[in-house]
Amino acid sequence: MSQKPHADHIYIEALLKNNSKVLSEIYLKFSHKIISYVKKNNGNSDDAQDIIQETLVTIYHQAKEKNFILTCPFDAYFYLLCKRRWLNELKKRGNNRVTIFEDDTSITEEQEQQVEETEIFEKQSQLFESKFKELGEKCRELLKTTFKIKSMEKVAEILGVTYGYARKKKSQCMGKLTQLVKNSNEYHQLKAY
Amino acid sequence: MKEDHYITFDNYLNNELSGAELASFEEQLNSDADFKQEFEIYKAIESSLSSKFENEEEEKALRNTLSKLGSTYIKQENSTKKKGKVISFLNYKKLMVAASIALLIGFFLFNNGEPVYSDFSSHQALELVVRSENNEAIVKAQEAFNSKNYEVALEQLTILSETTKNDAEIELYKGICFLELNNYVEADVIFDEISGGNSAFVNTASWYKALSMLKQQQFEACKYVLQRIPESADEYNKAQKLLKKL
Repeated sequence: MSQKPHADHIYIEALLKNNSKVLSEIYLKFSHKIISYVKKNNGNSDDAQDIIQETLVTIYHQAKEKNFILTCPFDAYFYLLCKRRWLNELKKRGNNRVTIFEDDTSITEEQEQQVEETEIFEKQSQLFESKFKELGEKCRELLKTTFKIKSMEKVAEILGVTYGYARKKKSQCMGKLTQLVKNSNEYHQLKAY
Repeated sequence: MKEDHYITFDNYLNNELSGAELASFEEQLNSDADFKQEFEIYKAIESSLSSKFENEEEEKALRNTLSKLGSTYIKQENSTKKKGKVISFLNYKKLMVAASIALLIGFFLFNNGEPVYSDFSSHQALELVVRSENNEAIVKAQEAFNSKNYEVALEQLTILSETTKNDAEIELYKGICFLELNNYVEADVIFDEISGGNSAFVNTASWYKALSMLKQQQFEACKYVLQRIPESADEYNKAQKLLKKL
């Protein structure tokens, strides 16, 4: 697959740089279609605002961690992500009887692929985060410090333990977390993709 | 046994394996599927959580920006919900006096105050080139639109847009009807679509998007749109005039 960025990649860069001027264009140009969709499907504009914000934060994380490159127009990609997020939200709220208003936005295979990439990225991050919360307090503390401060020497100093012990503990905690993820249903669902 | 695995994973990711240790690690990755799977998970977790925790502050700052933009550009539901109040007759009289004073003051102030939608909302008459089918709808739509009967015009234009898909002119006038009927969401969707396209109505749609922002009293957004109307556009002069008042 070619990794040539689309001109709309400026929006991804704006997320990375917290560039409010360019980000305002996203709200100006693309939000109304999403608001309209949410409103037609049992939501209000506050819901739409949340959906838009959470979607943008997810894209930010994907760009930060995975150097996500947007290779298709932002409009359809973003709209589809927001739309599916809203449908998920409705499911969560137990609104199963709602008739979903469908619109006829056509999307290309490439757009579909980018949307899926972002969704899988998010599901994976959420899985890791939720399993992280299942760890004991000591492991969470140690891992959090480790990830924030890259040097293990410093981590050992802060926690008042030896370097060797900190290293050993870190891989033990990571091992526990690996096991939790590996044995979860969600992981097996994700693997199916 | 297992614990040693994880220590090796950590060493490998830190580039601390070499020689025979490295060779044997890579050998096991290739031959032992379970070992490989665990390594992949370990690596993915490390990458995900590192990025998450490292960027906690940045994420907060971004959320801040987005919340601000959200409340600037997205009209909030709660503020538009107004409750009717019962006013007693005596209060009503007082209110009338107050209102007429306010009206007088308003009359003097308004000329210098913020521009209002109605100052700028004279629409070009709808004159659709006669198309073969649906003549009746065309005539009805034109009559209704040109006599400011926007509800009927919208009905007829909707019929027309179903038979002739993606006609920018019909869509644009539908948008104007929505705007006149204060259905901002639908209006903005249409204006965004056309101004982002490549029909002959790109600039007209931008102008109407600005008017919609003006009517919704989102002045900053209105300015932003106006500033992007190029000098070559028919709407340039109007846009500049409105910009000066904002």
